[in-house]
Amino acid sequence: MGLDLNKEFSITPAAPQEKDGAMGFVMTNLSELVGWGRKYSLHPLLFGLACCAIEQISAGMSRFDIARFGAEVFRASPRQADLLIISGRVSNKMAPVVRRLYDQMLEPKWVIAMGDCASCGGPFSNYAIVQGVDKIIPVDVYVPGCPPRPEALFYAITRLQDKVQKFGIGERKG
Amino acid sequence: MTDLTYDKLKANFPDAVLGKETFRDETTITVDAAQLLKVSKFLRDDPELRFNLLLDVYGVDRRDLGASPRFATSYELYSIPHNRRVRIEAPLADPAENGKKDTLPAIDSVTGVWGTANWLERETYDLMGIEFKGHPWLHRILLPQNWVGHPLRKDYPIGGEPVNFTADRDNPRFAHLGKQIMDTPTFHSELEDMDAEGHLVVNMGPQHPATHGVLRLAVELDGERVISCKPEVGYLHSGFEKTGESKRYEKFIPYCDRLDYVSTMSNNLAYVLAVEKLMDVDVPKHAQYARVILVELQRIASHMVWLGTHAMDVSGTIHALLMYAFYWREQILDIFEMVCGARMTTSYFSVGGLRWALPGAFEDSVRHFLKGFPEVIKDFETMLTDNPVWRTRLEGVGVLTAEQAIDLGVTGPLLRAAGTGFDLRKAQPYSSYDEFDFDIPTATEADSYARYKVRMAELWQSMRIIEQGLAKLGKGPHRTADRKVALPPREEISTSMEALIHHFKLVTEGYKPPVGRLYGIAENPKGILGFGIISDGTANPYRLRVRGPSFVNLQATDLMARQGLLSDIVTVVGSIDIVLGEVDR
Repeated sequence: MGLDLNKEFSITPAAPQEKDGAMGFVMTNLSELVGWGRKYSLHPLLFGLACCAIEQISAGMSRFDIARFGAEVFRASPRQADLLIISGRVSNKMAPVVRRLYDQMLEPKWVIAMGDCASCGGPFSNYAIVQGVDKIIPVDVYVPGCPPRPEALFYAITRLQDKVQKFGIGERKG
Repeated sequence: MTDLTYDKLKANFPDAVLGKETFRDETTITVDAAQLLKVSKFLRDDPELRFNLLLDVYGVDRRDLGASPRFATSYELYSIPHNRRVRIEAPLADPAENGKKDTLPAIDSVTGVWGTANWLERETYDLMGIEFKGHPWLHRILLPQNWVGHPLRKDYPIGGEPVNFTADRDNPRFAHLGKQIMDTPTFHSELEDMDAEGHLVVNMGPQHPATHGVLRLAVELDGERVISCKPEVGYLHSGFEKTGESKRYEKFIPYCDRLDYVSTMSNNLAYVLAVEKLMDVDVPKHAQYARVILVELQRIASHMVWLGTHAMDVSGTIHALLMYAFYWREQILDIFEMVCGARMTTSYFSVGGLRWALPGAFEDSVRHFLKGFPEVIKDFETMLTDNPVWRTRLEGVGVLTAEQAIDLGVTGPLLRAAGTGFDLRKAQPYSSYDEFDFDIPTATEADSYARYKVRMAELWQSMRIIEQGLAKLGKGPHRTADRKVALPPREEISTSMEALIHHFKLVTEGYKPPVGRLYGIAENPKGILGFGIISDGTANPYRLRVRGPSFVNLQATDLMARQGLLSDIVTVVGSIDIVLGEVDR
């Protein structure tokens, strides 16, 4: 069949599964849709405390690539973040700052306690360190390890995504 | 053996010098506290002594040592021109014993003699409760200002659970801690002569992408021009020294990893060298070479973190460089993981050698790394060395001359970029560094760009050292045969009763070094890391002092950032290369 040059060029109506914008329709409820949107666009706060912060950076680098889980956009302002990764030991001097950062984040917001120190004080059972960041802010997922490997952080993020999916639209954390 | 330092002091100040002790070739000279200033000036200025570098100031609470009086301050001095060390100790009576409950023991401040004493004395005041008369700004540095007590004193409990914290925001105990952070910016401007009326005082950190952790800077600005820039540290204070005093010697090794967590092997080496010196243990050559190889790999890995973050901070468009740098750091971490099972917190060196033998594939994987890495350094240099953005932002920024650096106790690449070829690996070689052929890269411009050039040149030198180390490595025992400190091999335990007893004793009691004190120093990627150990003959150190190079180097921020632009602060902090775990300890 030859090409008919006189005929105007046009796109034939496509089958719904093709990516041309003619989507067809999907049945869902709003809560699930919003949860789905939230869980694949987590914005962690650009905030590191100690050794775990270096593994947190490694998680963002090319080998591990946190972008695969939709959480690569680290925001430097707590106003733009919805995930606080406590990556390291929280000292008594730092505790009010951490609390304030958490308070400054907008709802809905989640917290991952990355590593032993953030979870329970780790090896630093002494006067200087808060024995677990859950003493000052609510924690959603705890990650064991000293420090946890980036893969462990990813597992925590996927667990958190399950939690985010189930989180109601109007619910508040704080 | 005649001791020049002691003889000269004795001749010039017969009534100030109280005594002298030598332990493992380290001399401690006890000096009358009232005459400390005179003695210090003499030690610094006498042409035959020239102790120009004050490494460390720390207090000792001798309550349980049976020594009188109760407190003492120690000064670790280093003479760069004469390559000599000495320790000055000044005993201090505790006024509380004479009924003056709220009076702290006091001694003259040596900030006028060595500028570096400023922060070190503040730390001693904070943690040990010793007052320094004539100090320019004696306030707590690591702990919150409203803290009660001095943790390193022996009558202060180590703490831990329970903590005075709760999620309850109505709790009044939490309220004052929350208030303290709000107060702090004005607090700086009032007390440190900042002109909050005429100038703009800006708070930077502790959560800030360019401060490399939880560092806080109070910056006084006149337009874009920096009038002064005061770092506030302590947001990651973890009580390493107090914790170390409650652990056995061997058990502190994992804590070293968490000091400067991007150069764990180097920290391990500095600590085990100090304990080995204390225990008088010889390490087999094979283990020494393996240590050198791993430490130099760690130096490369540490410089990769510095390069990547520095490049990203200074110019966001070089973000790709961070990716490349971390990619090559991962290659080194793979080698570490193969060697000891951990990527970062290695704890691979034990007292007397290595914890386990090197795996069979070690040499090949290091060679593989060496084969690929030169091209990468060249790539980095192509990207940066003549990059106009990079040069504009680094050249002439953060100048720190050699005199200023030595006065502030700054060591490592910062000092070498100011033209002083001072490196402990050459000056006082340890772990067989004297058998290696390498150069100490230096530069003379003393600015951030010079530091960049020095660190890049150090990468090449580290590779040279690793290559020679591989050639020397060979086969051999990885641990000393001295059963007093090192566990016997597993096979021996099932056949020899004696080995079993040694194993049992070491695991249950640990080893007990002789009574004495020493101060071990090693050249870390960031500067001189020091471990001061005072042993009272038990299995725990009586006093464990950690000198973090980042802590001392960070003190130079104010000097380097002054009269620069606000944006240059990022360059300055990046080029100092700090790790907050080590700053706050």
